[in-house]
Amino acid sequence: MTIPIVPNLLRAHLKELAENDCRIDGRQRWEGRALDVEAGVLPRAEGSARVRMGDTIVFAGVKFQVMKPYPDRPNQGGLMCSAEVRSVAGRHWEAGPPSPEAIELGRVVDRGIRESGCIDVDSLCIIPGEKAWQVILDLYAISDDGNLFDAFALAGIVALRSAVVPAERFEIGEDYPLGVSKTPIMCSYQKVGARFIYDACGREELGGDERIHITLGDDDNVHSLQKGLKGIFTTDEFKEIMDHARDRTKELREVVESLL
Amino acid sequence: MGGYGDVQMIDENGLRLDGRGPGDLREISIETGVVPVADGSCRMTWGTNEAIVAVYGPMEAHPRKIQRQDRAVLDVSYNMAPFSTTDRMRPGFNRRSREISKVTKDALESVVLLELYPRSKIRISIEIISAEAGTRCVGLTAASVALADAGIPMTDMVVSVASGKINDVVVCDLNKEEDNYGEADLPMGILPNSGELVFLQMDGDLSQEEFELAWKLNMDAATLIHQKMVASLKGGDSQ
Repeated sequence: MTIPIVPNLLRAHLKELAENDCRIDGRQRWEGRALDVEAGVLPRAEGSARVRMGDTIVFAGVKFQVMKPYPDRPNQGGLMCSAEVRSVAGRHWEAGPPSPEAIELGRVVDRGIRESGCIDVDSLCIIPGEKAWQVILDLYAISDDGNLFDAFALAGIVALRSAVVPAERFEIGEDYPLGVSKTPIMCSYQKVGARFIYDACGREELGGDERIHITLGDDDNVHSLQKGLKGIFTTDEFKEIMDHARDRTKELREVVESLL
Repeated sequence: MGGYGDVQMIDENGLRLDGRGPGDLREISIETGVVPVADGSCRMTWGTNEAIVAVYGPMEAHPRKIQRQDRAVLDVSYNMAPFSTTDRMRPGFNRRSREISKVTKDALESVVLLELYPRSKIRISIEIISAEAGTRCVGLTAASVALADAGIPMTDMVVSVASGKINDVVVCDLNKEEDNYGEADLPMGILPNSGELVFLQMDGDLSQEEFELAWKLNMDAATLIHQKMVASLKGGDSQ
């Protein structure tokens, strides 16, 4: 990723808007963009989703491989989550090996899903010590207009919840749905003009400061947190964000449930 | 070519496994403006192939060593998404995707009016979201629609299509099984207005007569595909 030059005019404009409790695209401070989620959109994937949030568009695809269990966990399968933001997604994303930004994206989403315990890794064992399923979640950005984190996390959980283990193709019995017992949801906030806002668009990301990502589980338990970029925040600011995240994750979880 | 000539793929009525006649194309749909942040873009489905292409530029070419004083350069990347194939594709470039990127660039550089934009770069990113067979043709065709959508001047668009041979019968537009078990594959990149060519590859085994027939099937198919490309750019129905 090449870091674009941030016009001082944009930063000044965002600051002025924030002082008047406005946002650059006319949204309220805690308002998300129009959301469109579809499951089962990729014909070659065992589970898939497409998420559109404003002009941000991502895909998530689930594939399965047979792996040898790790020696210290002979009765468990594995989950691998990787995010790719290729040059198709925006002019500042360059070809080449994954950038630190793309790696951070994949790892933060991975932690939220993994730590929620939504996938029972014991159920992925085929023959203890010899064969187990490896679930691979690939997150793929098509258009980056900000907040790829939330789009990836949402697409990821929908793809996993719609996934079917392709046991027949591997000649290990009949196909069956991947058991996903929980729905971890991520909400991301960015400081723009001295206050945090929810679901930053591309211009807010460009002219903003630090961002905070929160993943909450079904029971509001916290499963992953990440602070990114340069910036300082207070405990009170964080509490305010957490209050919003508790409500918003419930709304988004209902969107996921309505699809499946 | 797999070369397993004993797999029967044409029935007694001369129809193929998916019910097509020898000269028939799979279903094609084309949509533009699908990547909102790009200068031009195209989504093309062709059978169960799906490609998304974004065009950015003309923009500053960096590093400077890639700049050309008298013209623009095209930066073409063809890539298959990890979930685009039955077995997961490991992310990153491989020899196959590098070669396809190069021949796609060679084809498009033949039609884009590069000399209008000295020292700049036009980036064309081809992402294969779902692969069946013939993804290079889908990628190249969709790329020329995306370039047109971006308003980049070209002498013509490029229509890419392949014909081949299955069970000793020359057919147009091989699907997955036909590609796996077929005996030849001839992808071409055709300029529909002049009938000239900017892209050509072939592998397999074709007699002179079979070769001429495959060539003609491609030329005829190109006319049909071109109509869909034009319709999509005009905002009409491209189904």
